[in-house]
Amino acid sequence: MTPHLLSTESNVLSVALAGNPNAGKSTLFNALTGARQHVGNWPGKTVEQKTGEFARHGRRIAITDLPGTYSLSAYTMEELVSRDYLLDSRPDAIIAVADATNLERNLYLIVQLLELELPTVVALNMMDVAAKQGLQIDIPELSCSLNVPVIPSIARQERGIDEIVAAVSHASTLPTSACSLDYGEAIERAIASLLVIINDYIAIREYYAPRWLAVRLLEGDVDVAARLSGLPGGSELLPAAGKRRAELAAALGEDIDLFIADRRYTWIHNLAGRVVRAGSAHTMSNSDRIDHVMTDRRLGIPIFMLAMWLVFKITTDLSAPWVDWIDGVLSGPISRWIMTVLDAIGLGETWVASLLIDGVIAGVGGVLVFVPVLMALYFALAVLEDSGYMARGAFVMDRLMNRIGLHGRSFLPLMVGFGCSVPAIYATRTLTNERDRIMTGLLVPFMSCGARLPVYVLFAAIFFPRYASVVIMGLYLLGVIIAIGVGLLLQHSLLPAAAAPGLVMELPPYRLPTARGIGVQMWIRTRAFLQHAASLILVTTIAIWFLTAIPAGAHGTFANVAMADSVFGRASNAMASVLEPLGFGTWESGGALISGLVAKEVVVSTLAQTYGTSGAIDEARSDTFLQDLGEIVTSFLGAILDTLKAIPGLIGINLSVGDDEAVPGLADAIRASFTESSGGHAAAAGLAFMVFVLLYTPCMATIAAMRHELGTRWMWLSFVGQLAIAWLAAFFVFRLGVWVGGL
Amino acid sequence: MLREVLQAVEAAEGPVTLTELSRQLNLDPRVLDGMLEHWSRRGKLVVNSETAMACAGGLKEPGHCSCGSSASGDGCPFIARLPKSYAVFTPTEFDVELR
Repeated sequence: MTPHLLSTESNVLSVALAGNPNAGKSTLFNALTGARQHVGNWPGKTVEQKTGEFARHGRRIAITDLPGTYSLSAYTMEELVSRDYLLDSRPDAIIAVADATNLERNLYLIVQLLELELPTVVALNMMDVAAKQGLQIDIPELSCSLNVPVIPSIARQERGIDEIVAAVSHASTLPTSACSLDYGEAIERAIASLLVIINDYIAIREYYAPRWLAVRLLEGDVDVAARLSGLPGGSELLPAAGKRRAELAAALGEDIDLFIADRRYTWIHNLAGRVVRAGSAHTMSNSDRIDHVMTDRRLGIPIFMLAMWLVFKITTDLSAPWVDWIDGVLSGPISRWIMTVLDAIGLGETWVASLLIDGVIAGVGGVLVFVPVLMALYFALAVLEDSGYMARGAFVMDRLMNRIGLHGRSFLPLMVGFGCSVPAIYATRTLTNERDRIMTGLLVPFMSCGARLPVYVLFAAIFFPRYASVVIMGLYLLGVIIAIGVGLLLQHSLLPAAAAPGLVMELPPYRLPTARGIGVQMWIRTRAFLQHAASLILVTTIAIWFLTAIPAGAHGTFANVAMADSVFGRASNAMASVLEPLGFGTWESGGALISGLVAKEVVVSTLAQTYGTSGAIDEARSDTFLQDLGEIVTSFLGAILDTLKAIPGLIGINLSVGDDEAVPGLADAIRASFTESSGGHAAAAGLAFMVFVLLYTPCMATIAAMRHELGTRWMWLSFVGQLAIAWLAAFFVFRLGVWVGGL
Repeated sequence: MLREVLQAVEAAEGPVTLTELSRQLNLDPRVLDGMLEHWSRRGKLVVNSETAMACAGGLKEPGHCSCGSSASGDGCPFIARLPKSYAVFTPTEFDVELR
């Protein structure tokens, strides 16, 4: 690429605005140009280009806002664009914008800009923020060390703007010599030898700052080498630079570019140490103080557990009144209205009514009643995320994962697994280490996904109403413990690991969550759940209704057959014997677990269908529409009151009267069924059922994702392994409950 | 300075926060971040700052990805928003024969 000199009108000064991201560059650009700016893209690039023109102090200045970058290394598109512009267009001057509160980091780019030997002014921006932080910057010393004017500014308040413009207006008088950065004797000797060649060729020294060019060649910059290859002198300079590099590498025993970067950082660190005083860089912020406790090696995990307990306490206690309300509305007024309409069109006593009431309302409605539960969970998680605590949770959990030799990056897929296993499996593809990828993929299904929560809430409310939140948190915890156990087993068998490599995590500062942020997160997740309920769950419940309506033998006719004698009942019954040792060996449980392979929410909808909990609607069919509306409003107000009463309960003050069950009709049916199947140990069987749901294959989509990402062999290992672990764990829990707990 | 930073990350027992490491090395956390970035460019560290990586199908809109999850139809009900992190790059030696 042949560089060219920009031909500017003699009275128009071309100025480039350069700086780190968030240094206030755009604010300064807007302050300088006002509305006289043009926004487009850099030629052939998707990077935004902003240009503008203004006149001050009798000079017209054309200014180009370069993309925010941390260096000029031509590594990112933004860096490449900035560097190409500075090299090819050679503006009359550069305004280097630096964030005064973060001077040391900003200096890296400034030093590189100064090496270009273009007239430069440093705009030391955000001086007000620096002052608030107690930072004092010795500007004369900084200016002297950098050998360029340094103008303090507050671009947001348009302070210092005139001084900056005045400085660049006299660009021809600005110094262009590089700052006094000494790269050490060996490098300086090599630079000097290259300068001899560079100065011999006018075609080179006319376009490139000789010292900058020598340094870049020693750093092995291939882009610069490509630029030189077509120029006179390039054929002499490039081999000479290569030779010097080889000599230096042998002498220094390391990469030259690393050595040079290290010298730059050291020089900048020393300069910052001289010019910045009373900095807050190493004083502890409030976030640091809180983190001192939150991420403590001993306290971090117990605090995380406490936070999770609170999450599930909120999830179960605050949502309970709304579960009852939705259940009441769906099984009461909505069902009655549907029946009224069906009666009016003559379908009231047909299989269509059964499909709608026993299939769709019982099935989809059985899942929809748990929307408040999920919303409460999403609310609690959004608060944790927005406040910045979730990052701390990930950090302390990562320490646990380290015990099984997992790479630091594995925690992301595992965290995603708490929401949904499918994206979590796909997220493993970002792990570069194959062993970590497979290990993480195999452990993801043990992270309890959100779809299992309705099952836990239902069963915990039935069998452990007073300890629902503890039971649910225990299940999540059990999933993690099983994952660690499986991880250790794999580590010592199929997937041996080296020591887990180091990981540095940048924790965001704590902040007060915003209502908008929480609302958006809750809505996105709830909408996704509702979409799912309206599609896959609806189709599955309809399919299951048909399977329960078709007789398997000679007994009954279509839609007029005992469920146990239906195709679904008979097929599910085959699984009942396998589940018998676990305490829930019924065809209803078997059927729910099989259908749960479609999606875990379907477990609840299938139970609602197979236990036929919609029978109560007929009793109240004579209610009027207005009475129904009144009932909905009254129960809504009651739910609000109950929610308010539940809030003190989060800190142990119980204002609620009695322990209402979620979905009472279904609860009674499940309790009776489990009591019978377990020989009177319904609670132990209920707990075993929840454990089984926690540990067996999440869904078909997860299996497909595993096959796609990990291969068939690992997919089968995972599928069979999860079933085996689920069965064994449920068996152990049930027997333990019976023998020890007397549940 | 750069070498010390890499050595400190490699020597860390388990995860460390940027603040902890910056205090250990007596560096401003933002300067340390720049140095870690430098090592990630050289391939010695792997930087992870993408929340979108959780989505196989990529982000359809902010906070909504097309991952075909079981609990969400075409959207993720749970997108991990985890902090930026740097991990030591470990070359892959455990390879396709495992498949």
